Amino acid sequence: MACPICDKESDPKYRPFCSRRCADVDLGRWLKGGYAIPADEDARPYSEEPPKH
Amino acid sequence: MAEPVKKPGEYGADSIKVLKGLEAVRKRPGMYIGDTDDGSGLHHMVYEVVDNGIDEALAGHATEVSVTIHADDSVSVRDNGRGIPVDIHAEEGVSAAEVIMTQLHAGGKFNNTDDSGNAYKVSGGLHGVGVSVVNALSEWLELTVWRNDTEYRARFEHGDCVVHVHEVGPAPGMKGTQVRFLASAKTNHPEGTFANLEYSFKTLENRLRELAFLNSGVRIVIADERHPEPLRTELYYDGGVKEFVKYLDRSKQAVMPEPIYMVGERAGITVEVAMWWNDSYHESVLPFTNNIPQRDGGTHLAGFRGALTRTIGAYAQSSGIAKKEKVDFTGDDAREGLTCVLSVKVPDPKFSSQTKDKLVSSEVRPAVENLVNEKLSEWFEENPATAKIIVGKIIEAALAREAARKARELTRRKTALDVASLPGKLADCQERDPSKSELFLVEGDSAGGSAKQGRSRSNQAVLPLRGKILNVERARFDRMLGSQEIGTLITALGTGIGRDEFDISKLRYHKVVIMTDADVDGAHIRTLLLTFFFRQMPELIEGGYLYIAQPPLYKVSRGRSEVYLKDQAALEDYLIEMGVEGAVLRLGSGEEIAGSDLARVVEGARAFRKVLDSFPTNYPRNILEQAALAGAFDAGQADADLQRVADQVAQRLDMVALEYERGWNGRITQDHGIRLSRILRGVEELRTLDGAVLRSGEARRLAQAAGPAKPLYARPARLVRKDREQMIHGPVELLKAILAEGEKGLSLQRYKGLGEMNPEQLWETTLDPEARTFLQVKVDDVAEADDIFTKLMGDVVEPRREFIQANALSVENLDA
Repeated sequence: MACPICDKESDPKYRPFCSRRCADVDLGRWLKGGYAIPADEDARPYSEEPPKH
Repeated sequence: MAEPVKKPGEYGADSIKVLKGLEAVRKRPGMYIGDTDDGSGLHHMVYEVVDNGIDEALAGHATEVSVTIHADDSVSVRDNGRGIPVDIHAEEGVSAAEVIMTQLHAGGKFNNTDDSGNAYKVSGGLHGVGVSVVNALSEWLELTVWRNDTEYRARFEHGDCVVHVHEVGPAPGMKGTQVRFLASAKTNHPEGTFANLEYSFKTLENRLRELAFLNSGVRIVIADERHPEPLRTELYYDGGVKEFVKYLDRSKQAVMPEPIYMVGERAGITVEVAMWWNDSYHESVLPFTNNIPQRDGGTHLAGFRGALTRTIGAYAQSSGIAKKEKVDFTGDDAREGLTCVLSVKVPDPKFSSQTKDKLVSSEVRPAVENLVNEKLSEWFEENPATAKIIVGKIIEAALAREAARKARELTRRKTALDVASLPGKLADCQERDPSKSELFLVEGDSAGGSAKQGRSRSNQAVLPLRGKILNVERARFDRMLGSQEIGTLITALGTGIGRDEFDISKLRYHKVVIMTDADVDGAHIRTLLLTFFFRQMPELIEGGYLYIAQPPLYKVSRGRSEVYLKDQAALEDYLIEMGVEGAVLRLGSGEEIAGSDLARVVEGARAFRKVLDSFPTNYPRNILEQAALAGAFDAGQADADLQRVADQVAQRLDMVALEYERGWNGRITQDHGIRLSRILRGVEELRTLDGAVLRSGEARRLAQAAGPAKPLYARPARLVRKDREQMIHGPVELLKAILAEGEKGLSLQRYKGLGEMNPEQLWETTLDPEARTFLQVKVDDVAEADDIFTKLMGDVVEPRREFIQANALSVENLDA
């Protein structure tokens, strides 16, 4: 698995991140509302089925 | 021995001042040379002599200093400078060389404030005590001087001159000084100074390398003759401190191609800085004053730090980066991953202690600050691309630091009462046992209201979450969860957040249920939540605590009865059940199928359609269906007798066509497929099943699904229900007809959102443990959600936006 922040190999201790640092950078973005998904008109069609397992 | 004629400004005996007291050195060596037991003092002996050579180099008189550890544990240090003066010192009546060796605080450098120019302006010397200390602490010391094309020598024992300076002989063209000494050791004499004479080649090499970096262009050679195979290293760095920085980071990944290098003079102080950032999180700034390292920093370091923080702050402001990221960074953030060598050459430096670990000369701070401010701003303006990388890294550091702080804060907000007291937020349950408690994360306020009323208050808590809509640009909106929502969520869960603080055992609900609308916005909020949990609370998913509620997508009413159906598949199930009721499939043979037999046939038809749907859309469905019923896809058929297959398909197509639209004709194509054609109202209609599709895996699967259906449609069948009757030529047609029949007399409502359900309906369908179905979230699902998220996001809002803008721009250019 690759670290969502820097793409390095993730460390099980900080999964899914590679380090405490990247985990903190990610948390920082959540906590200041830095993450958003584009929801404009021409967003690609989305499956209505919930994820299966 | 006396020198012939002394020119003014020459480095002669008069420029040496004298202070006495060498005896004191032997009594308390620690004060002068450092610890005599742990080896540090012993190595300082060497550095003290080397510094004299470096001073000669700094003054421009020497180019090379060599250090040799001899087999007898004596050490010699030789430079190719001017050679220390051997003429008679006016005050002392002996040779200047002897004065330097035997008097404490005697040395050319000692006279540096008179600006006479004949002594070293700037000099180091580890303790500034001079080579006399080395002499005092040596069993013996041999001095060799090459000067005036002559070689001179003198010998000292325990600090006393035993052989005075004398000419050894002519040495044409040679110049320089060599000091060879055997340090006084307890291992040789009980009253010796040092515990042993174990010089470490590595230790010497490290310090000498430092000196080579700090004194660009000076060659330092170190040799070790104690071993059968002597060691020898030559240290020479043209790039100076810039090379030093690269050397320090040799095993790290730099974020920029070359270090930033600055050099200049302010108020007589020379400042030289090389710095860059690597991808680690450690700061490594090495300050030096006159080649001596300051472990505890001092005024030069303070000046550097002040200028760095100010310059980067100003750049982040003026470039607009700071505003965009909404983050304030500190000096610590700016220095994360920074490697820097800061070297100042100061005429008369003051330190806080003998060991010179901290510089206290106040005039150094403004000098460094001023120069770094000016040069670094210049550099940032001239290198915008690299500047952006650096500032980006610093902002990340600030983000991480702030996140850790907020995480602590949020975690300290212990009780969920804090959340409950906020209006419109958590509606908690009465149950205190987490294993019996459930938390519903409900999207939207109106749905949250319904859920709060419809829930079972004893053990079901509701937290409404509102996805914020961000108007990014005209006609473009982003969906996000605001910082408030995330904060409330964390507090409600009770686990805390962040790598140090998160504690799954404090989870207040063992079922955390995401309940969102079955539309695009709902899917986005769900993706955001899943991504958040996956990244910041993976234990929540691994522990099996995270669920997704399945609110119904349809409500079907028939008379007074109502049925909720969660998705398209469930709706189809229901409609088939209704449609089969009272229906009869009358085959061409006269046989009739009804009831559960018909239900089975319809199930087969659904399976058939599912396989059909997997074909690429360019193949017409009705041709595929009839070809399957004609056996065209049966294993081996196409390769046995292709023309027969073509004929059979054409025959079936004629059978299902209206009487006046018949006349299908089948032919073999070059790629061993079949081409079907007919003339319809004077125009030829062409359909092709190419060789590839005839022999494909999908074709095999379709043949299998068609197997049981073949006899049913050998001749056209009829579906009879109530007073209606229609022709059926294949499974797809049957399925359509049954669904249409099932829908008769029903009213169908598709829920666009949870808010359309009243509290009772929500309880009945989604909250009631007896009726509801939850999906338990597994790590693999979420890893996938994270992937979707990352793709949608481009991870950081900014780059994606830039990408969009960049592309918008290129489109404009194309149009022009």
